[in-house]
Amino acid sequence: MKRIAVLAGIAAALVFPFVVTSPYYLHLVVVIAIFSIVTLGLDIVFGYTGEVSLGHAALFGVGAYTAGVLAFQFEIGFWLAIPAAIVVALAFGALLALPALRVTGPYLAMVTLAFGTIVAILINEMTFLTNGPLGISLQKPMFVDLRTWLPFLELSRPRMRDIAFYYVVAASFGLVLLVVNRLLASRYGRAFEALRDSPIASDCMGVSVYRHKVLAFVMSAGFAGFAGVLFAYSEQYIAPNNFSFELSIQFLLAVTMGGRKSRVGPVLGAAIVVYLPNLLADIDQFRAVAGGVAAIAVLAGGWRMLRVPEERLRTAVPVVLCIGFFVFSLMLQKITDYKLTVFGLMILFMVYYLPEGIWGFVKAGLARLMPSPPAAVARGDDAHVWSATAPVVAEGRALLEVQTITMQFGGLKALDSVQLTVMPGTIHGLIGPNGSGKSTMMNVLTGIYTPTSGAVVFEGHEIQGRTPSDIAGTGIARTFQNVQLFGELSLLENIMVGLNHVYRGTVGDVALATPRARREEQAARLRAASLLRFVGLEALAHEEARNLPYGKQRLLEIARALALDPKLLLLDEPAAGLTAPDIRELIDIIRKIRDHGITLILIEHHMDVVMTLSDTVTVLDFGQKIAEGVPAAVQADPKVIAAYLGGSHAEAA
Amino acid sequence: MTSEYSMQVLAQLLVSGIAVGMIYGVIAFGYQLTFATSKTLNFGQGEALMLGSLVGLSVVTITGYWIMLPIVLAFGMIQGAVVERLGVRQAIKTKSEAGWIMATIALGIIFKNLAENIWGRDALKFPSPLPEAPLSFMGVNVLPMEVVIVFGALAMMLLVEVFNRRSIYGKAVVATANDRDAAGLMGINTSLVITFSYALSSMTAAFAGVLVAPVTLTGASMGGALGLKAFAVAIIGGLSSGMGVVVGGLILGITETLTGYYLSTGYKDVPGLVLLLLVLSLKPSGLFGSATIKKV
Repeated sequence: MKRIAVLAGIAAALVFPFVVTSPYYLHLVVVIAIFSIVTLGLDIVFGYTGEVSLGHAALFGVGAYTAGVLAFQFEIGFWLAIPAAIVVALAFGALLALPALRVTGPYLAMVTLAFGTIVAILINEMTFLTNGPLGISLQKPMFVDLRTWLPFLELSRPRMRDIAFYYVVAASFGLVLLVVNRLLASRYGRAFEALRDSPIASDCMGVSVYRHKVLAFVMSAGFAGFAGVLFAYSEQYIAPNNFSFELSIQFLLAVTMGGRKSRVGPVLGAAIVVYLPNLLADIDQFRAVAGGVAAIAVLAGGWRMLRVPEERLRTAVPVVLCIGFFVFSLMLQKITDYKLTVFGLMILFMVYYLPEGIWGFVKAGLARLMPSPPAAVARGDDAHVWSATAPVVAEGRALLEVQTITMQFGGLKALDSVQLTVMPGTIHGLIGPNGSGKSTMMNVLTGIYTPTSGAVVFEGHEIQGRTPSDIAGTGIARTFQNVQLFGELSLLENIMVGLNHVYRGTVGDVALATPRARREEQAARLRAASLLRFVGLEALAHEEARNLPYGKQRLLEIARALALDPKLLLLDEPAAGLTAPDIRELIDIIRKIRDHGITLILIEHHMDVVMTLSDTVTVLDFGQKIAEGVPAAVQADPKVIAAYLGGSHAEAA
Repeated sequence: MTSEYSMQVLAQLLVSGIAVGMIYGVIAFGYQLTFATSKTLNFGQGEALMLGSLVGLSVVTITGYWIMLPIVLAFGMIQGAVVERLGVRQAIKTKSEAGWIMATIALGIIFKNLAENIWGRDALKFPSPLPEAPLSFMGVNVLPMEVVIVFGALAMMLLVEVFNRRSIYGKAVVATANDRDAAGLMGINTSLVITFSYALSSMTAAFAGVLVAPVTLTGASMGGALGLKAFAVAIIGGLSSGMGVVVGGLILGITETLTGYYLSTGYKDVPGLVLLLLVLSLKPSGLFGSATIKKV
């Protein structure tokens, strides 16, 4: 089905210039394809990682001006301009993303907005290079002279040039579509989605949020630069005001309007945005479209009001707005004066009422009409659950040593000079009343907190102060007290995010779909399915993680942590909220994990679970270690009993 | 050119830089107000300033400068509340960062376009309430209005701070800024507090608009650049530090005037971005901001 659609698309693209002979429409399609390259790239940043870029027009302009300057100053043509522009755009992308994405918040939007302004200024001012406000003219190259091959068509020379250029753009568009599709279906796409769902869990699975966000932005910048070259040669003239802030907003509007996180959406959006100026130049056409939108709104809204009467008022608002917009269009005399207002209203409407965009809306409708067939169950087997990684510590030495760790929040010492020694191959219980510092310890061990003082030594190396994703890479995996799954990914994909570390292939491998990339993807898929099988969730492999019941979510978290091939696994209250049969299953799973040589630290409030499983138990109270030893001894310790049941230490002693 | 003369030029540049910097600072202060309560900010803040200034221009001919001020402040508050209600509230509910960024940009575009249609596209002269002849201190010329800018901006920030610390309403704002969920559980109407912080934020911007308009010019397109500079200031100083915006504003204002004079006026907007990138790479929370610890 999909293959037929692709072939039909290619065939349509091939015959298009001979079917539609108007140069105007040929040019329109070329510009739509060029804009689509930008929006497909922008979707990686905006749709997948959720960061807003207000500088894509500038990156697009950087690409166009690279081509322009090369042609104007150095007489270097189209084919060399493409790699040059991509490299320049990638460099600018890195320059912006590396500092701006270090902190969470709206920083990337602010920095890219500033970048857009600066680029406009620089292009205007650096007259010696860019010819300033006068702009640069270039000549569309004549790629092949089809007249020698197809003399019977009797094409004029400029028309031949246009058709050849159309094919170059169409091929570029197809190529970008293919590459973006591959990237987003690969581990990179999964990482982009994962880091948006739960940044903390991504970092703790060794998928650095920072690095992947930077990667997404830099790739996206590269696509914008590439599109810039095509644009420069398509228009044959570029000037600084081609690449204004308004264009950046148009790109964002295109992705939002068409529909994020899809390939159809950004292309559809690009088509709308390119056609928009025509629409806003002609008042009659504008009124017709506004009327059409109002009619659709009345029909769709009316149907919804009948179906969902309790939301009648909420549904009425957008319908009334659409009708109001139509009336506004009838009252307007000169549309061009209010072009930007119309533009702004469209953005607001999209943000409010169609956040998933047109394609998202259509897709949801289609899914209701034709439920998709159940996906094939992923096949895993027992042979691929474990990947042996023995810890490298000498016989009799500790795997993990926590040396007088203190973690201070303001005046509060959440951990106060705590010592902890975990021997390889053991299960180490960590208990204590609420607020005793257990979870703080987990966060210190995994690098989420940097301890105020003290050292954490893992396999003989100090790891405190390193980033969570670094520490995950050394072989420490964890689960979370409040479950942190990647809700919108399937169970299988959740685990494959944890398997990110096994891939050796690069972005290039993915883009070219090299044998290595395919082999690694298949191996990871098999391994993930096997891990799912290990925790008994194989049948639900293609379900979205957020749809799982609570107990199963905890099991999935354990499987995902195992995907990291950890030497040390930290379980933070794995039995919380589980039913009695679920707990028995959990105990069984934990034992099997230990039997495969993985060391565990177990935080748990279910005393029976801790006492049956643990080799050693450490008790924390108010940030201090109050007892340590074999379970039976700890249970009998009066200080421990006092901590749990109240009373002062003095009394207990 | 004697060294005495060049010292005089430098002093002159510093004075202009300080005045410009204080304007940036007061706009950036507006960003902080809303960022504290809701972790959002108005990408149309420059347009709030522009609207304040243009409304002020229309009112000033009827009432004179000093009576115009409270009218503009009230207008700014209403405008800010509208922005929050239309652009931000929905996005806070759905926790969509892209949502509020896009919506506040869209509102900014609409405001600018409407202003173009009401007041025209040309830059307009704003009558100055004070004599326009510069005062001279040891050869350095200072416009009386520049003095008003510096003290007016400081006074505005101080007033808002005092209000936040002293009054019970202000304490609700501070409580919401510290922990929105907890404040909500204590019976504080946090969404009202957020609306209020937007009203205060736009009010400071509108005030900045009528402060700066007599010195520069006013017009529908005056907002964009100022809003952008204030972004740089907010990042350089830190989005959480009142001291930061004053110092950040001064740093940016002075660097810009110096670049404009010694390099070229065309490049005067460039150091802002360079500073911004530098600060983000070296101290992401800003020169005066403190790093927050994320809780799991």
